Amino acid sequence: MNDKAIVLRGIGKAFAGHVAVKNLSLEVPRNSVFGLLGPNGAGKTTTLRMVMNILGPDTGEIEILGRPADQATRDRIGYMPEERGLYPRMVLEEQLVFMAATKGMSRKEAEMRLGPWLERLGLADWRKKKTNELSKGMQQKAQFVATVLHEPDVLIMDEPMSGLDPVGMDVMREAMLDLVRGGTTIVLSSHQMEAVERLCDRVALINRGEKVLDGAVSDVKARHGKNTVALAFDGDGSFIESLPGVAKVSDHGQYVEVRLEDGADPQPLLREAAARLRVRRFEIVEPSLHDIFVETVTGHGKEAA
Amino acid sequence: MSAKLWAVVRREYLERVRTKGFVIGTVLGPLLMGAMMIIPAFAARAGGKPLKVAVLDRSGALQPAVEAALREALFDGKPRFEVQAGPAPASAEAAAVPVGPAAAGAREAALKKSVLEGNLDGYVDLPGDAVTSGNASYYGRNVSNRIDLRTMERTVSDVLVSRRLADAGLDPAKVKTLTKELDLKTIRLSEGGEREDRGAALIFSLILLMILYASILMWGQMVLTSVIEEKTSRVVEVMAAGVSSTTLLAGKLLGVGAAGLTQFLVWSLSLFGVSLAMAGPLAGSFPMPEITPLMLVSFVLFFLLGFLFYAALYAAIGSAVNTVQEAQSLAFPVMVPIILAMVCFPAALEAPDGALAVTISMIPGMSPLIMFLRIVVLTPPLWQIGLSILLLVLGIVGVLWVAARIYRVGILMYGKKPTFPELLKWVRHA
Repeated sequence: MNDKAIVLRGIGKAFAGHVAVKNLSLEVPRNSVFGLLGPNGAGKTTTLRMVMNILGPDTGEIEILGRPADQATRDRIGYMPEERGLYPRMVLEEQLVFMAATKGMSRKEAEMRLGPWLERLGLADWRKKKTNELSKGMQQKAQFVATVLHEPDVLIMDEPMSGLDPVGMDVMREAMLDLVRGGTTIVLSSHQMEAVERLCDRVALINRGEKVLDGAVSDVKARHGKNTVALAFDGDGSFIESLPGVAKVSDHGQYVEVRLEDGADPQPLLREAAARLRVRRFEIVEPSLHDIFVETVTGHGKEAA
Repeated sequence: MSAKLWAVVRREYLERVRTKGFVIGTVLGPLLMGAMMIIPAFAARAGGKPLKVAVLDRSGALQPAVEAALREALFDGKPRFEVQAGPAPASAEAAAVPVGPAAAGAREAALKKSVLEGNLDGYVDLPGDAVTSGNASYYGRNVSNRIDLRTMERTVSDVLVSRRLADAGLDPAKVKTLTKELDLKTIRLSEGGEREDRGAALIFSLILLMILYASILMWGQMVLTSVIEEKTSRVVEVMAAGVSSTTLLAGKLLGVGAAGLTQFLVWSLSLFGVSLAMAGPLAGSFPMPEITPLMLVSFVLFFLLGFLFYAALYAAIGSAVNTVQEAQSLAFPVMVPIILAMVCFPAALEAPDGALAVTISMIPGMSPLIMFLRIVVLTPPLWQIGLSILLLVLGIVGVLWVAARIYRVGILMYGKKPTFPELLKWVRHA
C-alpha cells in the first residue's frame, strides 16, 4: 500500500491517425484534489477513460490505490463522465441502487446509504419519480449521488462543473470538499481553469496529449513568480502594453492583468498608471493557472517552468 | 452468475416487463388466441336461426319432394330450413302438369314480396325442365351464406338425381348405397398415441411458427432499441465504468430474453386454461390440437436460441448507430436468413424430410424456424435435431464474438454511421 491513489506510467492512446494521449505519466496522491487541466481536445477525457478501462491504453501501466488496475480496484472509483447519463424511465431510487450494484455494492447496503444522500441534495421527495420527470438540475444531483453512493475511495469527475448553474456549482463544490475531508481522493478535469483552480491541491496541465507541467498548485505558481499585476482603473489603458518591463497584458477593458518581465520592478508601472489613469486597484498577484498554461504552451516563460 | 451480471439482467428484465406494451401484449395475446379458437367453433355451431324458405316449382312435379327434402336437411345435426309450404296440387293427376305461366308469375311476385318484407329469407325457383337440365335459382336477401346455400344445393340436387334414377327405372335408395363414397380420415401416429387429425394440428403448427418468427424479431428489435437508447441517454459510459461491455451485452440479452419467456409462460398457462374451459361445453365439436412436450420444449428452446442469435446481431447494430432510423439499413441484411426461412417454409412443410428442408434446418439463422416446423409436423431423427442445435449454438457463439467486439467499440462512438467495412475493422481491432 503506498500513498498514491492513481499512478499513470507512460500511457498512450492513438485513434485512427491521430494521437490522443502520448506517454503520459502522473501521480495522484491520496486524499488530494487533483485537477487535470487543458483545452478541449487535449486528451483529458481519453486519459480518464483509460483509467476506467472504458478505453484500453495502447501503451503504459495504470495503478489504482497501489495495485495494478483491474475491475476490483476500479470498483473503488466513482466515475462521472462528461456526458452525464441516467436511464430515463427508471425510478430514481432504483436507478441509484442499481448503479451502486454495478460497482459491486449490495442492494441492501445501497438502499441503506441512499436516504442521507437524497436528503442532503434535496432529492428526497423525488425518490419515487422517474428520471425523465426530474429537472436538469435534479438530474445533475442524481448523477452525483450515482457516482458516490457506493462509497468510492477515489472520485473521477470529467468536467464536473459543466452545465451547472451557480447554485449547482456551490452544492457540487461543497459536496466534493466534504468527501475530501472524509478521506476521498478527487480527480477532476476541466478546460475552464478558473472554475476549478481554487479547488485543486495539485494540477497537471496537458496539451495535445502531452503533459505540459504538473505539481502542487502552490509550487506551480511559485515557480512562475509573483510578477503579475492586477490593475483596475478608469480611463484609456492602451499605453500600458508599451511600457518598459511589461511582458504581456491580458486586457479586460477597465481591468488588466499585466505580466512583468522577469526581475522587473512594478513601481514604474504604478507611477505611470497613477499619472495617466484613475486607479481603483493595484495589486501584485500570482499568475492564474490559465496564464501559466498559455505561457507554457506558447513558449513564453519556458525558462521559468 | 456474478452479482453485476445479475444486477444488469434484473434491470433489463424489470424495464421490459413493466412497460404498458408488455402488459397489453401479455393480456391481449391469449385473448386473441382464445378468440381465434373459440369464435370459429361457436360460429360453426350457432350459425344463426334456420332459414325461412319457399319453393317455386314451375314443373309442377317437384314441389312436395323438394319441400320435404329441405325440411329434413340437417347441418351439424340440426334442421337448417323452415319451409313455407307452397299451394298443394289440386289432385294427383294435376301434379304432373306444368304450372301455367300466369299462376307461376303470380306466385313469384308474392314470394318476392314476402322476401323483401322480411317474412321469408328466400325461395328456390325450379324451372320446368329442372330435372333434365339440372338448373335452379335461389332468390334471397342474403346470398353470401355459403354453407347454407351449399346445403341447399346438395339437397335439391339429391331430389333431382333421385327423380332421374326413378325415371330410368332404378331404385334411388339402392343406388345411393352402391355409390357410397370413400370417407378418408387422417390419423396422426405419435408417441402420444393415435389421434384423428382434422387439419387442426397443421393450422396450430403454423400459428406457432408465426408466433416464433414474430417473437424472435420483436424481442430482437427490443434489444436494438434499448442499446440505442443507452447511447442516446449517454448512460452507457456510466455503465461501462462499472461493468465490462461483455457483461452489459450478456445481461441485456438474458434480461430481455427472460421477459420474452415470461410472456410465453403467461400465454401458455392461459391457453391451457382456455382449453380446459373449452373442453366441457365444446367437447367433440372442436378438435383441440395435440401439443406434445417435445413441441413445447422445442418452441422454448428455438425461441431462446433464435432470439440470442438475432438479438446479438441487433445489439451490434444498435451500438454502431445513433438512431433507430439509421439502424434500418444495417438491420435488413441481418434479417435475410429468417425471412428466407419464412419463404422456404411451405416447401419444408410439403416435404419435411426432403433435401431442402433438411439442409435449411441446419443453417443457424434459419434453423430456429425450419427445424421447429419439422419437429412439429414429423419427428426428425434425433441426430438431425442435435446437429441443428449444435450448429445453431456454434453460430450463436460466433455471432456473440463478433457482436461483443462491435458493441465494445460502438457504444462509445457517436457521429457518422459506420459502413460495413468500418464495422469489420472494429471487429478486427477491438
